[in-house]
Amino acid sequence: MTSDFDVIIVGSGPAGVSAAFPLVESGLSVLMVDGGRQAKISPPTQPFLTARAEDANQWKWMIGESFHALQKHDGVSPKLRVPTQGYVFEEFEVANRIETQNFVAVGSLATGGLSNAWGCGVARLSVSELSQFPFNPSDIERSYETVARRIGISGRQDDDMSGYFGLDAWSQPPIQMDALHTHLYDRYTKRRATVAPLGFRLGRSRVAALSEDHAGRMACDSSGNCLWGCHRRSLYSASDELAILRQHRNFHHMGGFVVEGIARDGDCWSVEGLQEMSRERRSITARKVLLAASTLATTRLALQALNLARPVPLLSCPTAAFLLWLPRLMGTARVPAFGLGQLSFSLTMQDGISAFGSTFGTTGIPVSEFVRHLPLRRRYGIDLLEGLLSSCLVGNLFLPGHLSVAKATLRDDGSLLVDGGYSDRIPSLMAEAAKRLRKAYWQLGAILLPMSFKVGRPGGDIHYAGTLPMRESAVLGETNALGELCGLEGVHVVDGACLPTLSEKSHTLTIMANADRIGREVALMKFQGV
Amino acid sequence: MKILATGATGYIGKHFVRHAILRHHEILAASRRRPNAAIECISFDLNSTAEIHLPLDVKAVIHLAATTNSDFIHPDRELNAAALLLKASQRIGARFVFVSSQTACKDAPTVYGRTKWRIEQDVLLAGGWVVRPGQVYGGCERGLFGQLVGAVRRSPVILAFLPSPKVQPVHVDDLAEGMLRIIERDDIPPGVLCLASPEPVSFTRFMLAIASGRVRRHRWLIPIPVMLIHVVGGVLGRRLRIHLGLERLNSLFDLPLMDTTNDLQRLGLSLRSLPSGMHPSGSDRRRRLICEGQALLTYVLKERPCTSLLRRYVRAVEKLRGDSLLDLPAWTLRLPIALALLDDRAFALSARGTEFAWRLDAATTLAEATTQGARRFLGFGRSSGALMSLISISRAVVAEIIWRVLRIAGAPFLQRYMRSAGSQR
Repeated sequence: MTSDFDVIIVGSGPAGVSAAFPLVESGLSVLMVDGGRQAKISPPTQPFLTARAEDANQWKWMIGESFHALQKHDGVSPKLRVPTQGYVFEEFEVANRIETQNFVAVGSLATGGLSNAWGCGVARLSVSELSQFPFNPSDIERSYETVARRIGISGRQDDDMSGYFGLDAWSQPPIQMDALHTHLYDRYTKRRATVAPLGFRLGRSRVAALSEDHAGRMACDSSGNCLWGCHRRSLYSASDELAILRQHRNFHHMGGFVVEGIARDGDCWSVEGLQEMSRERRSITARKVLLAASTLATTRLALQALNLARPVPLLSCPTAAFLLWLPRLMGTARVPAFGLGQLSFSLTMQDGISAFGSTFGTTGIPVSEFVRHLPLRRRYGIDLLEGLLSSCLVGNLFLPGHLSVAKATLRDDGSLLVDGGYSDRIPSLMAEAAKRLRKAYWQLGAILLPMSFKVGRPGGDIHYAGTLPMRESAVLGETNALGELCGLEGVHVVDGACLPTLSEKSHTLTIMANADRIGREVALMKFQGV
Repeated sequence: MKILATGATGYIGKHFVRHAILRHHEILAASRRRPNAAIECISFDLNSTAEIHLPLDVKAVIHLAATTNSDFIHPDRELNAAALLLKASQRIGARFVFVSSQTACKDAPTVYGRTKWRIEQDVLLAGGWVVRPGQVYGGCERGLFGQLVGAVRRSPVILAFLPSPKVQPVHVDDLAEGMLRIIERDDIPPGVLCLASPEPVSFTRFMLAIASGRVRRHRWLIPIPVMLIHVVGGVLGRRLRIHLGLERLNSLFDLPLMDTTNDLQRLGLSLRSLPSGMHPSGSDRRRRLICEGQALLTYVLKERPCTSLLRRYVRAVEKLRGDSLLDLPAWTLRLPIALALLDDRAFALSARGTEFAWRLDAATTLAEATTQGARRFLGFGRSSGALMSLISISRAVVAEIIWRVLRIAGAPFLQRYMRSAGSQR
């Protein structure tokens, strides 16, 4: 029988887009479907500090006309409160029927997925980190390069983190650092030997943000709007790449189509879902289906198609956040600066467990985000931060995903229950990390503020992976080296769900490279049937 | 239901008609003049002795019409008019509700009170309902309420009688609601129903409530011993007493206390508070929410918030938290810095404190997202530098310590607010 398309890709985030390029370029007819949510509020066009000083209507993008920021008061991250990015996160759990216990589930129905509001952290897995992946590390190297060059990353610098990130060959130079980070890095270069025994290494963050114009997007101008939405599109978003994909006549995109299930249809697969605009139930067929709907949504679709009721393990990185104070820079005037990671560290701890994190300037983040965590009366908390915050940096920390004990279970009613939790080792590991960081930063002239080191809630990292891991010999609930689900020939998992391990490093670039790798391999198979 | 109302153009009548129409009742006004073109009307005069014929579809008769000035009351005429109306409604089988007065008594000091009592007897005998309202207030400024508001508006002082007489207020819309329930429900047995606040308030407090809630002006109190009025009244004689309104004052001093709890319960009626009812809109919730926002925002900003910010706070709370109010202690509204006593971790964990913490967070977030907030939170326009920062940090820490000490010292005084149950409407 003939199908509507050669391939249907479910999801238009970084994974879906990365898988699409090689397939489309090989001439296959590809349909990409997604939730289709689009931005409703335009990001600020003035630099952040100028807008704060002058824009009488700043509340419209800071809080939102429907008081979005207040409605999301309990959200785990400031990002979830930003009205301009509300569309990225809205209704994901409901539409994809995901329920949680002790777990923060974040996903996206937006075109471009979570990459519309991500931290832009990129890293490449080392050969040893790829040891559990069922393919030769060299198979993915080319994909890393392709993706890195395609999306544009910056941070190239010969520093102690060059090897850790492994991306300098394909990177742009770094975006300009602010005064605080410059000071911190200067101290590091002088005190490297003192902090090395703590397992602490520091270098520029490698980020998918442009320091040079690239593919129609503009270089970062340090306007400080990273959190609020970059109107220059310096930060990578998969939605920007759809325009490029659309130039191919064999590529089709259908927004507002939330997939509810996939089913075998002869020798094809049919993807079933609801077309939001027409409220019409539709089913579209293809030879192959690539699931790139984000780890959680993909897991539900796969388990449902497999009719698999046993829980599958879910990897997620335990996280923490902290505040650093640089007393020497007290009273520094606030200047606009890049709002995402500027310096990144890796921390090697006992048993070889390694942590990764970055530090950010505080200027682009609302002061209210800090003041409510302060053990001070509101009025004086604001006074304190007004004097203190301009010499502070925020930092985050990620531990490897195997230290979480989350699992996902398909329930009888078809919903996916995600049950979260951390390993028993987390409290001691976090305490150790805090101690090492405190010592290391002390040497660099920065004080990790007491009580500011806070461990996040399970799932708050938004790095989910590993529910349907790629294995050399996959069994039910696992995937082969091409992400193809055991028992469902022709259905490939190309997003985080198929990663067999989740390191502490930012995992997005690896997901993209893996999707590119699978896309390439699939394109080589001869299966066209249209 | 078709309801015939006499006195539909009067103070209570107007509110009753509006209320009844909102509930989809049909009103037939019995009046000397037509209330408005939209309302059907038949002619009715308290002085007329002609027999009354009512349309057959009238299901209830509300008798509100009365002469309130003792100078002009002809007790027999009023009695006769009521009797005719009562007979007419009996003929068509309509319910009869007579709106009497708190002063109604066999030997009331005024003709007005005595006349009301006599009519009551007829109504009760015929199986009708009698409503005795307390001190009716609120809504449009008419009737006795209108006169009192006018007096407070005109005069810079309020006479505080000593000892102060007690009144039992009832908002005119609450009264109208009570009357409607008597008509609408079948489980209210005929008899006398007293509708007023069960807790009497001093007449002075009532007048001050008019000053603060309605006239919105400060008024001075001038104490006047009641004895003095009695003496002056005695000297002037009855005619002059009535003419000068002293007779009416006398009835105020002799007001019998009504036990209204059971009647309110029977009708399932809960009365609004006096400050709330005094507000021209009939509720001061909005005004109190504005005061709450003003206090919280001023506490956060250290200066008065701009109007648009205050309005945004009110809109945000109304949209996200419904009708509830924090009901902050009055002293924090006057002195917002004192909110530092409530802005406390331990309090934030209690039921009431959770809502306080949410609103303080909301006020902070909203305050920051303004140009005013940018100056306050980011220190725009102030000189930067290590020394300045050090000073501002030290001042914050010192202030925090002082408030912590004050909080401990003031704990016994704060308990009452903190322990009271949740936010109030």
